[in-house]
Amino acid sequence: MKTFIVHFLLSITFTSLFFRMVEVPYHALSAALTFLAAFFVLWLCIFFFNRSYFKKIPLVVSFFFYFLKELIVASLKVAYDIITPIHYMKPGVIALPLDANTDAEITILANLISLTPGTLSIDVSEDKKILYVHAIYIIDGDIERLKMEIKNGFEKKLLAITR
Amino acid sequence: MESWVEIVSAIFIYIGVIFLVISSVGIIRLPDFYIRMSAITKAATLGIGFIVTGITIYFNEVVIMNKSITIILFMLLTSPVAAHVIARAAFRNRVLFWEKTIIEEFKPYLKEHGAMPETNVDKADLPGKKQ
Amino acid sequence: MNAFHISLIVAISVISICLIMVMIRFFKGPTLPDRVTAFDLFSANIIGITAIYAVLTDNTSVMDVAIILSLISFLGAMSFAYYLNK
Repeated sequence: MKTFIVHFLLSITFTSLFFRMVEVPYHALSAALTFLAAFFVLWLCIFFFNRSYFKKIPLVVSFFFYFLKELIVASLKVAYDIITPIHYMKPGVIALPLDANTDAEITILANLISLTPGTLSIDVSEDKKILYVHAIYIIDGDIERLKMEIKNGFEKKLLAITR
Repeated sequence: MESWVEIVSAIFIYIGVIFLVISSVGIIRLPDFYIRMSAITKAATLGIGFIVTGITIYFNEVVIMNKSITIILFMLLTSPVAAHVIARAAFRNRVLFWEKTIIEEFKPYLKEHGAMPETNVDKADLPGKKQ
Repeated sequence: MNAFHISLIVAISVISICLIMVMIRFFKGPTLPDRVTAFDLFSANIIGITAIYAVLTDNTSVMDVAIILSLISFLGAMSFAYYLNK
């Protein structure tokens, strides 16, 4: 996390230095592209200093795009259900056993589950082992399948990053 | 003649407006508080994200881009926290679940906290329930 | 006044109709959490209107209002939840 903050601030510094030195039109697009280029070059340099951080950044980026895909797919599913006159939803509350141990992991996981339309994390049990999730689409009342989907999707990818 | 910037930003803004319309129709139509909570507020977040992206494309200035990133980050951080807190407050205040909700796994927890809502919702509040 | 501005005005009118629909839930909502949710969505719609208005008038400082509105809606929801938990 500290490495990421240093990485981020250095990228911003390089971007501003680039626009001081070189006469390029200062637009949102050019600034964003310069920032991404600086970020990428710094990431390549980190290969020689911090090998584990070097491996984590692609995981974070792929996790971000996976999350974006899930967000849009779930939104379209809910939108279809709202527009058509019949409700196809089968709601239910599932008890998701957690593999995540620390508070930060549980917080991030609960927030990501809440942020996906159709699932809402209601509460965590006192011993921090179980997360209660209210889900809209439980296909054929098959609770275990939904649990496996969440565990293999969000939790596995998140734990690969944080550990 | 519009330039391509205006066309692209109008497309983004309209995608966002469509998400806002869907969530506003959903808050009337969906049968139960928890379903509304989990379906609606995030669609609104996505809609605002699209609108703000369209505005960034139109202005093409760094200041506007920073403001847009601030808005999107803030919505992404706060909306799940607010949803979580309100849902928790709701079941502690015995807001009812929809009658089709499967709450077998949640019942021991509810009993432990002394909040045991039934799954019958007032029939007058279910517009599209008949199947 | 070109086609882009007209389309923006149409977008603002559509979101205004959304505001009316959210108000229906606000008045009808059987419990207080329903109303808090409606308030959350209401402020989200107003953020959308404010952001589109910034494009319509070419006044970029209107975006600040959108940032502050997103903050205030969060604070409102949190304080209502605190009140409900008491």
